[in-house]
Amino acid sequence: MYSYRVAGLAVASEIELPGMIDHPAGGASPEVIVRSGAVPEALEGASEIRPTFQIAGELFLLRIPGVARFLLRAGREMTFEPQDGTPASEIAIFISGTVFGILLHQRGQMVLHASAIRVTDKAVLFCGASGSGKSTIAAALGQRGYSMLSDDVCAITIGAGQVPMAQPDGRQLKLWEQAIDELDLGARRGVAVRGRLEKYYVEPLAGIEEALPLGAVYILRETRPPRRDGVERLNIVDAAMQIRRNAYRPRLVKAMKQDTQYLEYGASIANKAGVFGLNRPHDFAIMPSVLDWLEAHWRETGLLGAKA
Amino acid sequence: MSDRVWLASYPKSGSTWLRMLIGCLSWPEGKPLDINTALSHGGLASDRMAFDNVLMIDSGLLTLDEIDCLRPRLYEELRRMDEFDDEPGAPPAAFVKVHDAYTQSPLGEPLLAGAGGARGAILMVRDPRDIAASLANHARSSIDEAIDFMNDEKSAFCRVTDRQPVQLRQQLSGWSRHYASWIGQRDIPVHLLRYEDLKRDTAGTLRAAMGFAGWAVAQGAAERAAALADFARLQSAERKTGFVEWRTHEASGRLFFRRGEAGAWTDELTPQQAARIEASHGPTMERLGYRLTTMSRQEGSGG
Repeated sequence: MYSYRVAGLAVASEIELPGMIDHPAGGASPEVIVRSGAVPEALEGASEIRPTFQIAGELFLLRIPGVARFLLRAGREMTFEPQDGTPASEIAIFISGTVFGILLHQRGQMVLHASAIRVTDKAVLFCGASGSGKSTIAAALGQRGYSMLSDDVCAITIGAGQVPMAQPDGRQLKLWEQAIDELDLGARRGVAVRGRLEKYYVEPLAGIEEALPLGAVYILRETRPPRRDGVERLNIVDAAMQIRRNAYRPRLVKAMKQDTQYLEYGASIANKAGVFGLNRPHDFAIMPSVLDWLEAHWRETGLLGAKA
Repeated sequence: MSDRVWLASYPKSGSTWLRMLIGCLSWPEGKPLDINTALSHGGLASDRMAFDNVLMIDSGLLTLDEIDCLRPRLYEELRRMDEFDDEPGAPPAAFVKVHDAYTQSPLGEPLLAGAGGARGAILMVRDPRDIAASLANHARSSIDEAIDFMNDEKSAFCRVTDRQPVQLRQQLSGWSRHYASWIGQRDIPVHLLRYEDLKRDTAGTLRAAMGFAGWAVAQGAAERAAALADFARLQSAERKTGFVEWRTHEASGRLFFRRGEAGAWTDELTPQQAARIEASHGPTMERLGYRLTTMSRQEGSGG
C-alpha cells in the first residue's frame, strides 16, 4: 500500500497517486482507504439518481464512462473499478482531484475549488471555475519564490481560536501545455496527467506540507465591463456567497446539507482573512502586472513585510 | 412550469440583441436600462462550469469527444433541475444560447439531447454577407479569413487542446451546414427568425418568437422592449459603461454593438468577397430570401 496525507487525512492506497504528499503510515490506521474492486452500476434505495452519480445513505457512486466507476463509503473508503481496460495510472488523476473532492464533501468537510500558495506564514487562495487560471497563477507565483500549498482542491479546517486553516494537498501542479510554455516551466514538466491530454504534472520550485492559516482569498475573474482590472475587497455578504459558490462541488453542498456551514465559514474567512475579487484579462502578457498588483496588495495588508 | 428553449444561431447573427430584447420584456417599468444586467439569463449550452458542477466530473480531465459523449446527459439533467422555477415573475421559458450546429455525439445521440434537452429552438439567421464583416471585427481577422471560417465544415470554437477554454468546444460546421443541421433535424420544433425581420418589425417578430416559446407577450410590452433595446441606445450605453459580453482586451475601443444594420455589407465587402460567399452559400441564401448579386449558384457547392 502507498501512504499519503491528503487534506490532513492519512490515506492508504493500493495504487500510486502522483502528486500526493508521501506520508509513511508509521503503524497508525489510515482514515481513508483507496482500493480497486467491484463497483455496482447503480445503488439500491438511492435518494438521488443522476446521470453520472447516485447517493444512497453513506454511499456515493460516480460513473465516468469509459474511465471507471467509483464508490465512496462514508468518506472513509474509495473503491474503483476501471472501465474498458483503463489502466490505474490513467485513473489516478481522477482519484486525486474529482473523487477526493467529493469524498471531502461526504466527510462534511469544507473544500474549495482553489489553488493555494504561501505568503510569509499564511495561505493565499485563488478560487474560480475550471479554466479561470487558478493553477497558472499559483505556478507564476511559484516562479517568484512563493511555495505551493495545493492545486485545484483546497480543504479548509477551523483551527485553534476559530482560525480558518488551508490544508496542503500535494506537491505537484497540473498545468496545460500553453501555460508551461508561457511560464517557461518546460524543465520541470513531468508526465501527462492522462495519456491523451496535453496537461502535465509540474514539479513546483518549492512546496510545503503543513496547514497554514488563511491570509487572503482571491476570486479570479476575467475583467468585463463594468468591472475594472485590479483587486477589490468584497463586502461580507458577497464574500460569504462567493465562498459558497466556490465550494469544490456546489451541488454537493446542498445534497450534504452543508449550506449553513459554508456561509458561516465564509463569513469567518471574510473577517479573519478577507475575500477579494481579482479582475484581470485572460492574457499571459499581463501576468507580470497581475503578480505586481498582488504583491502590492500583500504589502498593503501586511501579509508581506515592507520592501527592503 | 418553466421549460428550456434553445436560442440557436450561427455566431454574429444578432442573438445578443435578441437576448437583450427578451431581457427587456421583464425590465422594471421606469428603471433606466442597464445593458450589463438586462440580458436574458438562460445561460449558455457550452458553459464548462455547468458541465463540471452538474455532472460532478472535471471536464478538464476528459477529451473533447468524451465531453461530447456526456453532453446529452448534461442537458437532460439541466431540464430536470428546472432551476428557473423559483423566480417569481420569471418568463415561462429559459432561453439558452447555443452556437453549436445540431450534431450527433460520437455515440450517435443528438448532442443537445433532442426532445430531452429542450422544448424547441428559436433559430436566428442573418445574411452571411453581414455576418462576415461582423465576424472579422469580433475575431480581429480579415474579412477573407472570416469567409474561410464560414466555409469550413470543420470550423469550431474552443477546439484547442493545449489549454482549457472557459467554454466547451462548439462545432459550427460552416454557415450553410449550420442552418441545414437545425432546420433538417426532426427531434424538436424550430421557429425560424430572420435578423432582417427583427430589424424591420421588432415588436411583431419578437412576439411571434415568444409565442412559439409559450409566452404570450402583449403588443405594448413588445414595443416597450423594442424601444428600450433600440440599437442606437445600446451603442450609447456601451460607450458609457462598456458591455459585459465584450472582453476589454478584445474591445480596446471597438464597440460590440457595432452597426446593427441589415445590408451593411454593401459598403464593407468587396464585390469579390460577396461573390465568394454567394458561391459557397447561394442555395441556402436564396431559401432564406437573401438576394444574390451574382449568378454563381450553378457552380456553388451549397456548403
